[in-house]
Amino acid sequence: MPSDGKRNSRCTAMQESDHLFEKVLDLSENGLFLIDSERKIVLWNEWMVKASSIERDEAIGFTFSEVFPALAGKRVASVINAALDSRTASLLSRSLNKAIFPLFFAGGNGEKHRIEQSVTVKPIRSNGDDYCLVQITDVTSMVQREEVLKVLAKEAEEALHAAEDVSRFKSEFTSTVSHELRTPLTSIRGSLGLVSSGVMGALQPEVNKLIDIAYSNTERLLFLINDILDIDKIESGNMSFVMEAVDLMPLLKQAIEANQPYGDQYQVHYCLKEEVAQGIKVHADRDRLMQVFNNLLSNAAKFSSENSDVEINVIQKGGMVRVEVKDSGIGIPLKFQSRIFEKFSQADGSDTRKVGGTGLGLSISKAIMEMMKGAIGFATEEGKGTTFYIDLCLYDAEKVT
Amino acid sequence: MLEINDIQRDYITEVLNISMGSAASVLSEMVNEEVALSVPEIDFLQRNIAANKFDQTSESKMSGVTQSMSGALSGDALLMFPEEKTLSIVRILLGESVSVENLTEMEQEAMCEIGNIILNAVVSSVANILEQEIVSSLPRFIKGTGKEIYAVDAGNEDLVMFIKVDFGLESQSINGYVTMMLNVDSLQNFMTQLDEQIHAI
Repeated sequence: MPSDGKRNSRCTAMQESDHLFEKVLDLSENGLFLIDSERKIVLWNEWMVKASSIERDEAIGFTFSEVFPALAGKRVASVINAALDSRTASLLSRSLNKAIFPLFFAGGNGEKHRIEQSVTVKPIRSNGDDYCLVQITDVTSMVQREEVLKVLAKEAEEALHAAEDVSRFKSEFTSTVSHELRTPLTSIRGSLGLVSSGVMGALQPEVNKLIDIAYSNTERLLFLINDILDIDKIESGNMSFVMEAVDLMPLLKQAIEANQPYGDQYQVHYCLKEEVAQGIKVHADRDRLMQVFNNLLSNAAKFSSENSDVEINVIQKGGMVRVEVKDSGIGIPLKFQSRIFEKFSQADGSDTRKVGGTGLGLSISKAIMEMMKGAIGFATEEGKGTTFYIDLCLYDAEKVT
Repeated sequence: MLEINDIQRDYITEVLNISMGSAASVLSEMVNEEVALSVPEIDFLQRNIAANKFDQTSESKMSGVTQSMSGALSGDALLMFPEEKTLSIVRILLGESVSVENLTEMEQEAMCEIGNIILNAVVSSVANILEQEIVSSLPRFIKGTGKEIYAVDAGNEDLVMFIKVDFGLESQSINGYVTMMLNVDSLQNFMTQLDEQIHAI
């Protein structure tokens, strides 16, 4: 038998630990109450007192339905019964159960706001007795935050849709207008060509000069429209490629020959220096590759100084072939180098008239090279000239089949 | 290997359908809409086979709710849906349109509650068959591939009790799958009790 003194000290220790336990519960940021198997409330923490305005002595010792008469027969009452009778734990979410308990917090201006709640109900067994612990979490701020987030997400989505609509409209508009312009321009060019060739009778030199100006400007417009249509195709992902084995040197020589008359306008001579063997094949779309050659060769002529050579070198490196086009022009200013492949970019806006072109060519060439799994790049020195190069994949019959 | 015969299957199905009925009426009341729940199929399967049941492949994503059990049985109870079906349920029951990535905490919690109601119904049926207590934990939202969720990679070939649950919602019906992952002893214990009950009829 323990002496009275010992028993007393043990009682005191237990009382102290109970006291501490209660303090901890009162400090909890959640509402907590405990129900015994008789459905009587045996614990009611400070959070519950504040939120429900039900004092401890009004709750403890009373049954759940006496304290919350309005909740009798509701889901929360049945899950409490389930926890006590069959020891199941339950969750009552705030989305599916609006404001389960009548709990409020006081707003700044004395107003009372209903607390949004998430409730858990858990069975506890202690010394053979069954209890049910009800925990209430205030999710009001979370609910508000989620509502704000939902509104924001919805607005962002609408803005995105609106932007997509505008962009689609713009591109459809560009495409339609360009197509509509191309047809009449093609017939204007045809007619002008016929007139200037003298089929309709000899022309006076003055008239001939005017016709030539009209013809070359019509041609320029057609180039611009074709470039715009290409950009549109690239951006909408509708540019189609027929990849095949392309014999590189004959195609390049054909491109040089075709561009020489254009070079002559600038008194520039294309000069093929280094070349690879006839029969070297690259993996490419013949027409698109020709388009890139035309772009690089005509650019080189445009930006070269008069009476100079544009040097073309073809070098094989591993599985790649590099084609270089080297001009002796003014070079590309440093601040413009990063934008060189962007749409409508020419180093000097005022230069456009003099050198012609749309500022779309390099952007199109870059897209084409990427689609053909190749690359495009340049090296430049201001005042000395620029070398543009493209890298093409060697045609590897094995890999392709 | 543990197998289930037709009489055992019918008995479990019947007990499950009774508690599914009451779970359905709880859900219907909560969402203000007719919800029907039924168990058309029940089987004992190896984990890896259960993982494949969802969509032919254990690599497909699924999500759902899990809670653990202790007492007369120990293990985990899972309610899983192919991922897009979870969305359908949340969408129909909460009347919201969201993607799985955007299932907010609130919506996950709602899904947990739905799973909790169904899993508690299954667990209480099993407890009734056992005539013993099973303590269940709170539900938890999970997602992953069948392989991950059934821990197939761990070389675990344990049998699981695999229960197909038919969710009748609005105009459509959605299939979910409840899996009771029990340890071997628990499963054996369950089958013995089941036979005793059947004999007693």
